[in-house]
Amino acid sequence: MTLRDKICKIYTDLTFLDFGPDGTIVLQNDGDSKGDYIKSWTHPTHPQPSAEQLGSVQ
Amino acid sequence: MGNLVLNGSSSGQITVSPPAVAGTNTVTLPATTGTLLTTAGGQTIGGTETFSIINATTIQVGGNQAVNGPAFSAYQSTLQSISGGTWSKIALQSKTFDTNSNFDNTTNYRFTPTVAGYYQINAQFSTSNSASGGYAVGAAIYKNGSAYKLAITRPTSNTSGAFISDLIYFNGSTDYVELYGYADQGSAGVIGTAYNFMSGSMVRGA
Repeated sequence: MTLRDKICKIYTDLTFLDFGPDGTIVLQNDGDSKGDYIKSWTHPTHPQPSAEQLGSVQ
Repeated sequence: MGNLVLNGSSSGQITVSPPAVAGTNTVTLPATTGTLLTTAGGQTIGGTETFSIINATTIQVGGNQAVNGPAFSAYQSTLQSISGGTWSKIALQSKTFDTNSNFDNTTNYRFTPTVAGYYQINAQFSTSNSASGGYAVGAAIYKNGSAYKLAITRPTSNTSGAFISDLIYFNGSTDYVELYGYADQGSAGVIGTAYNFMSGSMVRGA
């Protein structure tokens, strides 16, 4: 499951547009051991999920 | 006053001829040793002298000049999958050319020119899984780890790409650029020299 999939499980009203080039959630992968991560989060209503929330998503 | 003729130690001579116009012109010789100008070639002119070259067949210029500045072209040669909705660094493992060995194609996949100046940088990211219907595909030039210039397309076919190009200044030591790709759909990049690549060349010295 990708990071975007996990976030969408937490906030089910999000769509791919929220993560798109014009969206308010920017995910990034620098090709290192860190993997996918949240680069910036400026969504107007949803707060950025914590690592614990993301880790608990099944 | 007419021409000044300097006779050499043998039969040769040099003539210094002033222009046939009014006004005063001054020839100033540098306060250093060495040959200022010769027909033999291979001489170096340093400092900040300004001069004109007329009817020259071959001109060679040293230092930070675009005529011999770094140029490179790198491309992806090994399959890379990226997560949907995630700007991901694209690994460019192969090089067509790299005149100054400034592109790292093994570890960080970045161009770090060692000559300061302005460079034309071109890059493209393509995906074989873009899916039509308004899903975005993007290519971005990241400078020093941050998004610098982006291109976005919303393709109508399942295989498509985004192209980005810009004129970018590099300080010749720490500045670098990388290619990042984006696809709304989970993606595997299309492999081949014509699809995922970055290239660039110095066009002006600092």
